[in-house]
Amino acid sequence: MKLVIGGFAQGKLNYVLQDSSLDAWVVLDGTLAGGVPQGKRVVVNHLHQWIRECLRDGADPEKEILAFVERNPQCVLISDEIGNGIVPLDAFEREYRERTGRILIRLAGLAEEVVRVICGIGQKIK
Amino acid sequence: MMILVMGGSGSGKSAYAEQCMIDIAGEKQKYYLATMQLRDPETRAKAEKHRRARKGKGFLTIEQPRSVRLVLEQVEGNAVLLECMSNLTANEMFGEGGLPQPWETVAETIVRDMEALNGRAAALVVVTNNVFEDGVLYEETTRAYQKALGSINERLAAMADRVVEVVAGIPLLIKG
Repeated sequence: MKLVIGGFAQGKLNYVLQDSSLDAWVVLDGTLAGGVPQGKRVVVNHLHQWIRECLRDGADPEKEILAFVERNPQCVLISDEIGNGIVPLDAFEREYRERTGRILIRLAGLAEEVVRVICGIGQKIK
Repeated sequence: MMILVMGGSGSGKSAYAEQCMIDIAGEKQKYYLATMQLRDPETRAKAEKHRRARKGKGFLTIEQPRSVRLVLEQVEGNAVLLECMSNLTANEMFGEGGLPQPWETVAETIVRDMEALNGRAAALVVVTNNVFEDGVLYEETTRAYQKALGSINERLAAMADRVVEVVAGIPLLIKG
């Protein structure tokens, strides 16, 4: 598994897709649901949005994402960095920010490679 | 030896900073300078979580939501982990009630206190926050707070022997 993180609109998906020919990938956008045809690698874009939906629904994002990674060990997960700001006034926003950070730490620990993308440029940090 | 550890919320900066402190403190007593004001169940729960994470690592906790200069004698010659600069800055700026202090004054006071602390402590680790990259243009008071913390971070980074940014639990060396 590979984890790609970075700020909003930094070219993370493009960075991932330039890595290989387009048709080798299936991109899921903000969801973990969807079939992955044989021989294709799965990219999950906007993972942070999926985490947010999970928390809204009272589901357990940690459990679900770890199970997903186990089923798709070759996947690429892309998430916005959302922790670098002022503490939100709203309690749900605070919870979302903290949980997303913790999930990214967990995933970074499991990943073979972690890349941080800024201005479309990837820095391999693991 | 002074290390500045920066990171966002939930980045793993606290765990990393504690490990830094343990690595550089040697035989010195380790003090944990806690700057968060405990005023509701959420902040108390957060402090409790941090306290549990530090348990058994030999830290003595001092609650110091502002005026770090008041602990200089107590920690003289020992190792200090200050967590965190973003709370200290908020408390110095807004803590007295009434109008917030001007950001320049707040930054100046804190930097002077930190210079004194760095002079007296045998080892110092400071945790600070990245509150600059959420792309939101806040109203004037919050922007002043961001300016204060930005200016403090800049000057602490110049003072520090090592500056580390923690991203998704991964330490990235910025300086040193």
